[in-house]
Amino acid sequence: MEQKRRRPLRGVTLRLALCALLTGLILLVAVFAPLLTPYDPYAQDMSAALQAPSAAHLLGTDTYGRDVLSRVIMGARTSVFSSLALVAIICVGGSFLGVLCGWLGGKVDTVVMRLSDLFLAFPGMVFAIAVAGLIGGGMVNAVIALAAISWPKYTRLARGQTLAVKSAPYITAAVMANNTPLQIIFRHILPNIAGPLLVTAALDIGTMMMELAGLSFLNLGAQPPTAEWGSMMSKGRSMIQTSPWVVLGPGFAIFLTVLVFNFLGDTLRDYLDPKRRGVRSE
Amino acid sequence: MAELLEVRQVSRRFYKGRSLVTAVNGVSFSLGRGEVLGIVGESGSGKTTLIKMVTRLLEADEGEILLEGEDITRAAGAGLRKARRQMQLVFQTPQDSFDPRQTLGRGILEGMVNNGVPRREAERRLPELLRQCGLSPDYARRYPYQVSGGECQRAAIARAVAVEPALLICDEATSALDVTVQAQVMALLEQLRRERGMAILFICHDLALVQQFCHRVLVLHRGKVVEEGTPDQVILHPKSDYTRTLVDAAL
Ligand SMILES: Nc1ncnc2c1ncn2[C@@H]1O[C@H](COP(=O)(O)OP(=O)(O)OP(=O)(O)O)[C@@H](O)[C@H]1O
Ligand SMILES: [Mg+2]
Repeated sequence: MEQKRRRPLRGVTLRLALCALLTGLILLVAVFAPLLTPYDPYAQDMSAALQAPSAAHLLGTDTYGRDVLSRVIMGARTSVFSSLALVAIICVGGSFLGVLCGWLGGKVDTVVMRLSDLFLAFPGMVFAIAVAGLIGGGMVNAVIALAAISWPKYTRLARGQTLAVKSAPYITAAVMANNTPLQIIFRHILPNIAGPLLVTAALDIGTMMMELAGLSFLNLGAQPPTAEWGSMMSKGRSMIQTSPWVVLGPGFAIFLTVLVFNFLGDTLRDYLDPKRRGVRSE
Repeated sequence: MAELLEVRQVSRRFYKGRSLVTAVNGVSFSLGRGEVLGIVGESGSGKTTLIKMVTRLLEADEGEILLEGEDITRAAGAGLRKARRQMQLVFQTPQDSFDPRQTLGRGILEGMVNNGVPRREAERRLPELLRQCGLSPDYARRYPYQVSGGECQRAAIARAVAVEPALLICDEATSALDVTVQAQVMALLEQLRRERGMAILFICHDLALVQQFCHRVLVLHRGKVVEEGTPDQVILHPKSDYTRTLVDAAL
């Protein structure tokens, strides 16, 4: 029903388009990684171990003679997808709980909030290390461990936002229009609280990527020979003096990717700023 | 035939910190079909609390509320939905009463569709409905922040009357509007009342408006009815001291 007018790309919109482009690029690399690697990322060649960057191996080779660039490209899959999966899980799950608490109040609210206090009181990374240590290493377990400690942020945010929106007259109007509670939540509450949640999620992708890499670095995440940035850095750390390229390749990949996702989060925040509401077409 | 609305001895208390405050204290009144009842009283006298109980947005601690002879005090499910279709609200702040992310048209259609009007039929009726409320049909595509307060209040009135309620409840619906727009909105309400035979519960601070528009007035003070009668009786010849102070303050 509403007309979409085309606007010239300017300011924040331009920045958002740029972010979308960069994010898209990262995702494309992750999706098509097997097609993009110049060498087989798992093929060992001891005779070619620890070669410095050259025309043949742009980022050099590691202790097993594997091409670092190929492993960095392949590692994008593991690192990017697991971070995205992790953020999706905690954002959706945490927000669901938060909306529930805000909407229902009462006992549900009290119980869930005390539980989230409990999780927030734990030193996060230590807890994640304990959980990963307990249920064993591996990327899936690392994601589970980090999800277990990271949901409360979303629950609190969603709850606060829901409480603020809930008292607005348009929610009362929606009640008087005989909407069911689910209709009110999906049609009127979620669209109005999605902005801050999305921004938080976008900014979290970078953080979570670092934490996953951290767990992998501690051998609690990706297991060898899986190509993953954190574990690649971990394996290479003893050679940082002699063969720095083994660490610099994946390190730089993490740095760039985190930068792009943080840029996306910041831009999304500016874009969704309520002060811009008047100029947004939807 | 039973009165349209009958409110019997309703009370509601709130906790304010540790102490219990009585916001509405044993209020009774009734309202006939097509009648306009004004409710006046200072800020905090319990007007909003009272109509929230009537619309069942808030539970009454005591008392009964009868709509068309049916007790709706504990109604739930289908009974409550039926009751809510019969009474619609118009709010003080028109712009906040529409979802900022949806067009006015969508907001108006929502209630009609939820109350069983097929979507195509509801969309077909929309332009005429807007026109009746003094808006051109293209306002359906606008967002709340793209219209003025007066226009938004017209849309809110359109939304309320779209489900053909027997009772329209206006909680200070004209307070946020400037005087000329206020007069236009009052004229619209009066016109809709005559065309549709709706009763109106009109909460208002402006005694002059109440005198002009209402058939009967209820004066609320600290949660109690202190006076009830025709506007002329209540405003020109107040019996209670409180009403007299209220009238004096308004002049
Ligand atoms: N949800 C609530 N919790 C606690 N106290 C409340 C609540 N709602 C209303 N009250 C109290 O009940 C009393 C009556 O409030 P109410 O909003 O009904 O007044 P009102 O007549 O509508 O005032 P106004 O003209 O300012 O709108 C006030 O003292 C108010 O503080
Ligand atoms: Mg009020």
